[in-house]
Amino acid sequence: MFLKNTLKFYKLLIFLIFLSFINSSCSRSNNSKKISLASSGKIESLDPARINTIKALQIISSLGDTLYEFSNEGQLVPKLASDMPIFSEDKLTIHINLREDVFFHDGTKFDSNAMKFTINRFKKIGTTNYILGNKIKSIETPSKYKLIIKLNKPSSSIEGLLTSLNLTPLSPEFYKDFNDKFLNDEFVGTGKYILKKFSNDIQILEPNIKYWGRSPINDGINIIGYSNSNSLYGALKSKQVDVLLSNSIDDSQRYKLRSLSENQKIKEGRSAPNEISFISLRTNKKPFNNLNIRRAIAKSLNRELISKKVSYGLREPAKSIVPSKFKKDIIVSWPSYNINEAKNLLRGEGFCDGKILKFPLTYRSNVPTDKLVALAWQQDINSSMEDCIYMEIYGVESTTIYKNLSEGIYTAVILDWIGAYSDPEAYLKPLLSCDKFEKNICIEGQSVFSGSFWASKDVEALFLGSDSNYGMDRLNKLIKIEQIASESIPYIPIWISSQKAWSQKNISMPVFNGGGQIIMSELRHIDE
Amino acid sequence: MNRNFNKTVKYSFIKILLIPISLWIIASLVFLLLRIAPGDPVDAILGSGATLEAREILRNNLGLNESIPIQYLTFLKNLSHFNLGISLSNQEPVMEIIRESLPASIELGLVSFIVAICMGFPIGYIGLKNKDKKLDLVSRIIGISSYAIPPFWGAMMAQLLFSIIIRIFPIGGRFPIFQDQPSVTGFIIIDSILNNNISALIGSLYHIALPALTLGFLLSGIFSRSFRLNLEKSYQSDYVEAAICRGINDKNILLKYALPNSLLPILTLSGVTIASLAGGALLIEITFSWPGIALRLQEAIFQRDYNLVQGIVIVTSFLVVSLNLIVDILIALFDPRIKF
Repeated sequence: MFLKNTLKFYKLLIFLIFLSFINSSCSRSNNSKKISLASSGKIESLDPARINTIKALQIISSLGDTLYEFSNEGQLVPKLASDMPIFSEDKLTIHINLREDVFFHDGTKFDSNAMKFTINRFKKIGTTNYILGNKIKSIETPSKYKLIIKLNKPSSSIEGLLTSLNLTPLSPEFYKDFNDKFLNDEFVGTGKYILKKFSNDIQILEPNIKYWGRSPINDGINIIGYSNSNSLYGALKSKQVDVLLSNSIDDSQRYKLRSLSENQKIKEGRSAPNEISFISLRTNKKPFNNLNIRRAIAKSLNRELISKKVSYGLREPAKSIVPSKFKKDIIVSWPSYNINEAKNLLRGEGFCDGKILKFPLTYRSNVPTDKLVALAWQQDINSSMEDCIYMEIYGVESTTIYKNLSEGIYTAVILDWIGAYSDPEAYLKPLLSCDKFEKNICIEGQSVFSGSFWASKDVEALFLGSDSNYGMDRLNKLIKIEQIASESIPYIPIWISSQKAWSQKNISMPVFNGGGQIIMSELRHIDE
Repeated sequence: MNRNFNKTVKYSFIKILLIPISLWIIASLVFLLLRIAPGDPVDAILGSGATLEAREILRNNLGLNESIPIQYLTFLKNLSHFNLGISLSNQEPVMEIIRESLPASIELGLVSFIVAICMGFPIGYIGLKNKDKKLDLVSRIIGISSYAIPPFWGAMMAQLLFSIIIRIFPIGGRFPIFQDQPSVTGFIIIDSILNNNISALIGSLYHIALPALTLGFLLSGIFSRSFRLNLEKSYQSDYVEAAICRGINDKNILLKYALPNSLLPILTLSGVTIASLAGGALLIEITFSWPGIALRLQEAIFQRDYNLVQGIVIVTSFLVVSLNLIVDILIALFDPRIKF
């Protein structure tokens, strides 16, 4: 009797829960005009001075506008500026005219003071304010819609910096109490969307009906963060979200998504490649202080094989540390895979035939792809160069690696890099520049923080020269820098990746801008 | 009874006095271990591309350039004023971050605990009532397999089956993204009831169902096995035999004689389970993207957010210590055999 009553209670409970879920599932369809977008992880902050994660940058690009942006062809295009920047003859002053029809989300008008406020705030509290370096001397606002930026020295990369999302203009009125501290959970900019709700894992964007340009063609974007790759994949597969935007999804799932898109069950959009994966070689100590050994190791890396094994061929093998779109497709070729040449080089240095070159390769244990790259390369070396090279692999958490890179702890380490702004310099300087060096060893500077400790007098001279050059002259100097590096091999490029997004069949294909951000305003339901 | 009650009060008082000492030891250990761990918040925030100068400025701003003893003294001073500091990664008060994520973990923990009890007790009871029959074998298999299944695997399978294949549950999250989340206490189910918001209540139940059922199922085995064992022991006791001889019916024997005594050991087990759930169920929270305290702690560890890690550990330790004390007191009150 007691058992029967209990069973009745359970049946009733299950029935009620089932009813409530049916109700809940139905209520989702009531909201179908908004686009739901899933992405990996949480967002700590939407303050442009604070952000440095890809996801936060993606959202800021929809909530705000920059002065300029790069087109997909790599051309500078005015956005909040009304025309192209005008440089003085000595290249120390930039005149920028601003649009006069732009309003912030709080109703105040965008003007030169707002831009000055934003740049100064970023200089003061920006966590990545080092990208400005010591370039900007002062900012003047001679009129409401005219901005004058005075530089300490000529800097051609300033154009790229003006496209940086970290310099997305903020309303001085709204941020007046946050001039010297972050405002993490609110955003008042000029963009196509207004932030309606912010939490670490959910962000709701609504169209800005007073936007100065073309308004979004959807009713808003609901962004949700999932903490693992399986959930992201599952959310798209089970149609619980309209769009999946993630570069941290596992390669096996990327492959399945690619198959689905080839079978036209979903749509795949991708940006121009902008994320470089590479191996940093410590050039100030044995064994990689020897150029021939570096050459041999570089020639032992079978990029095609690794790309095929690890990413199912979805990541493009790269023999450059700068995305080709920034170099007008001029090819700078780093050493190619050639096992015989690698062996000959090692034999020349007394290895092989009984003496084996041993070295450790470190990978970031919290980046699954890095481990697979290390394992694939190790396996390849074991099968083809067993008599010459013995490579041990170690996984270390990324934060620990970043801390120890400048200590010179890692002989070889797998890393990746995305330029902070769309410019070749944003890839070359963080990897190759050096402030203080002896012979070819960097003592202080960016290459120390990248773990290579490599320096070149010629490269420093070219960096200096490139700052005062523009157009092709500047590009040629930057290409020359990469050529010098490709001959010295402080790094071994592995592959270059794109940002990717996938949408359901009834949603338009995701499109990316020149900076690698998804254009959320172009997402729409096709049946609308 | 009165004398025992006084002793229990005295025991509780001593235990309460010991809580700050326990917390001080835990806080000091966490402080020390975090400083020993390689990497620091500056590297986590800036990555590998920042200049030495930028690193130094940020390190200085975050107060990490102070010597370890000075940092420790500042930490203790703040702690004595119940100030857990500011998160190093987003500059928000640690207490505020905990206030946002802790209810999610407690809510999931409590609902899972109820599910575990609702699953575990009937399974244990059915097994005992059908001793050495097929149903007993089934209940034993369910009981043992539920706590033998690794939580991450169980959670992933549940997600695959119910969210992706059958599609009756959401894949993750705590609340429907398109609904306005009621905000009073931070416990969404309670807040929905307080606001009389039925759709929010259904939305929150819809989201908590799968993680709670999964976690509840994984925990149910301990309860079913324990319940079966203790109930069997009670049925074999003299007082139950005496009750049977007096002609008392099965229902009353179960509810008035066997059950109360068999529940006492389970009270201890429940206390330990709830205390462990107060700190969040990390693998379940990760799999179901549940924005709880365990997930927050994991992120804070990756970001080397010293203050946040310290704060979360101290608060969850406080909860664990307090819950254990409450369980001790409850057992002393309910079980006359326990004397302090």
